[in-house]
This record gives sequence, C-alpha cells and structure tokens, in this order.
Amino acid sequence: MILLSSVSKKFKNKTAVDNISFQAKEGEIIGFLGPNGAGKTTTMRLILGYLTPTEGKISVNNFDPLEQRVDILKEIGYLAENNPLYSEMKVLEYLQFIASVKNSNNYAEISSEVGLDDVLKSKIDELSRGYRQRVGLAAALLGKPSILILDEPTSGLDPLEQEKIRKLIKKISSEKTIIFSTHMLSEVEDIASRLIIIDKGKIVFDGKKPKGRGMVEKLFKKLIRE
Amino acid sequence: MKNLYKKELNYYLDNPIGYIVVGLFAVFANFLFVKDIFVVGSVSMRPFFNFLPWLFIVFIPALTMRILSEEKRVNTIEILLTLPVSETQIVLAKFFALLTIACIGLALTVGLPISLALLTKVYLPEIIAGYIGGIFLASFSISLSMFFSSQTKNQVVAFLGSVLTIFFLLVLGTDFTANILPRTIHDFLIYFSPFNQLGNFIKGVIDLRSVFYFVSFTVMFLFLTVVDLEKRA
Repeated sequence: MILLSSVSKKFKNKTAVDNISFQAKEGEIIGFLGPNGAGKTTTMRLILGYLTPTEGKISVNNFDPLEQRVDILKEIGYLAENNPLYSEMKVLEYLQFIASVKNSNNYAEISSEVGLDDVLKSKIDELSRGYRQRVGLAAALLGKPSILILDEPTSGLDPLEQEKIRKLIKKISSEKTIIFSTHMLSEVEDIASRLIIIDKGKIVFDGKKPKGRGMVEKLFKKLIRE
Repeated sequence: MKNLYKKELNYYLDNPIGYIVVGLFAVFANFLFVKDIFVVGSVSMRPFFNFLPWLFIVFIPALTMRILSEEKRVNTIEILLTLPVSETQIVLAKFFALLTIACIGLALTVGLPISLALLTKVYLPEIIAGYIGGIFLASFSISLSMFFSSQTKNQVVAFLGSVLTIFFLLVLGTDFTANILPRTIHDFLIYFSPFNQLGNFIKGVIDLRSVFYFVSFTVMFLFLTVVDLEKRA
C-alpha cells in the first residue's frame, strides 16, 4: 500500500508537487494523468525515495522512503521515464544483472512473459524502441515486486507496440498495485481502475475511472482547461 | 554489492577502453623503466616507483572519468538508485572494480623486478613495499577521480578536474615548491602530497603515517562521492 500525506516538493523556486495526498491499495491500477510538467514523474520519484519531499509524509508498505529506501525498493518495480538502459549490455546480461541485485532468479520466466526470448543475445543498443521498452518492463518485473511504478510505459511507441505493452500490463496486473503515468487518455480507459489527474503539482481529480468511451478525455479536458 | 562490482568490472573487461588504458599504462611503465636501465644505467626499482605518480596522473583519471558522469549523462544512475542497493554500495562497487583494473595494470609491470633480479641482486621487501605504495596511490587517485566524476555529466571536465587536482597535490611534494615557498609553509603543505607519502614506500618502509594519509584521503573522497549521490534532490 502506498500512502502520501500532504506531500510537497520544491526545486529552488518552483513547486513541482503541491500538497498532494492519496492512497493506493493492493490490486489497484492507477492511471496518473496530467500535462507535461504537471508533477507526475516527481510524484513517482518521491514514492521511490529517489527524491526527498520538501514537506509531508510518504509510506510504502509501512516503510518510510527516506529511512528505509533500500527496503522499499525490494517491493517496487520501476520503469523510468525515457527508459534509461545500459545499452552496451546484452539483454540477457542486463536482466541477469538486475535479477542478481534484486536477489531474484526469475529472469528466464519474466523474459518469456514479456516476449524477449528472441532478442536475449542482442545488445540493447541494437533493439527497436518497442523491445527496449519491454526490456525496461522486464527489469521492473524482476524480483516479483508487489508495486509497479511505470512512467510513461508506452511513450514513443507505434500503435501496435503500444497495444502489446498495454496487454502486458493488464496481464501482470493481478495482485499488484500499479501506478502508471501517461499522456494517452485511451490508455487510461483501457488499463486503469482508478484515475488521478494532476495539474501544476496539485491533484485535480482522484476517483474511479468514468465509464464509457471518451469520458476520460472529456473529464481531462474539462479539468485542465479550468 | 558483489553483483554491482562484477558489472562494473565486466564493463572494462568487455570493452576496448579498459584494455587500451591498461595496455598503454603497461607499455609506458615498462618503456620508461627499461630506458633507465640502458640509458641512465640505474638498476633499481626506485626510478619506476618515483615515476608512478606521473603515470597515474593521466591513466587513473582516464579510467575513472566516465564512472559516474556517464551514468548521470544518460540517466542510468536512475536505474542504480532505484534498485535495492545503498549509495555506499554503489560507490564501493565502482571503486573496487576500478582498483582491480589498476592492480591489473600494476601486475603487468611485475616483469620489471623479475628482469632486474636476473641482472643483479634485488632487495625484495623494498619492491613489495613499493607495489603496496602503488596500490595505496591508485586508491587515492581513483577516489579523487570518482569524486570529480560525480560532480559533472561531462567526462572531459571530470578528467581535467582530476588531472589538475592530482597534479597540484603531487607538485606540493617536489623540489619546485620547496624553492618557491617559504620553508615553514612548504613543510606543512608537503604532508598533503601523495608524492611525499609514497616516498616512504619507495624506500621500503611501510610508515603507518603514510598508510593513514592514503586511507583517510581515500575514505574522504569516497564519502564525498556518496554524499553527492545522496543529495540528488
């Protein structure tokens, strides 16, 4: 379970996250929506303990990200924005490395599940963007984390690849808390069970995903315009 | 930490850069020593150990410059810092991987004392102390260069920062500063020169004050590197 209470994050004079609070329970798939610079990535990095909040309190499975960062990271799988990878490594080497650090040995199972079997011996910098995204997703899934944080998991992919990644996320979502950020409203309609919309660092909507095609888009446009 | 160490070590072993830097170091070290035997007529390892800091001044920063600056530039540092490992483990794994490579470089010069032993009688403890001093000097230079690498995303800036700082510290222990600085100031500053501290090892003496100097400076620079990673925002 993830709990944020009155969390703010300031970078010099800019407030990236402004007094936000929410709770994410087990099994929830939360779509995190917002325009560029709204504070989505900062919020995710705060949950991971990668950034320190200026104010407020965060708890992840009853751990404090500031005091118990390493313990928290055993519970979280993370796909970072733009998916940085060690491009000089082969896919298998990379997954083995991440698995060894996470003290896990399920890399063969995960690589099959994510569809990487054909490229295991390829160097990461030779892969297409879709495959790179799969590598990032596989790395996040290693160690069977109970929480997944995915920062724009389908960004820059063609529609076919987007569809494949969405299916993958749905497939792996059972018994996990998933928070994913996206600019694609249709993605939220497809995957999320709950929707959080953030704008200028503040949460402007937090609730169940509205039912019906195009309803998320309507809600988003209405809130962001206002 | 073992897995991080292996990954870092493999980067240098799977990549031409590691072989080029270590190979060039070995070539220069061997050439300069052999030159001393045939041109100067010196049959001692002392000239080799005396020249070692001037070789390290280039080769250690060249090996180390990418270690954190590149991670920051391509943002793979985010991968490391969102894995269940502490900042201290990350820094130590990188440090020991680099120290292993530096030791491989030093090991490639072991042929020199062996050749010397064939030509003349050598005093083994002096040579062993010299190599121990070389390892301490490598630790010192690696930790300093790692700190500079943590301060920038630009490898060239990290390299130049390290080279200039090591050069400045080395020069403190030379006759040049002894001639231009008042004696009291020079006597104080000379303690901070790795060149001066290495001198004891070259003489075959493992002086605990020199060991303390190298260990404390190495720990200090590693600590500052950990602090830099911790204060990411």
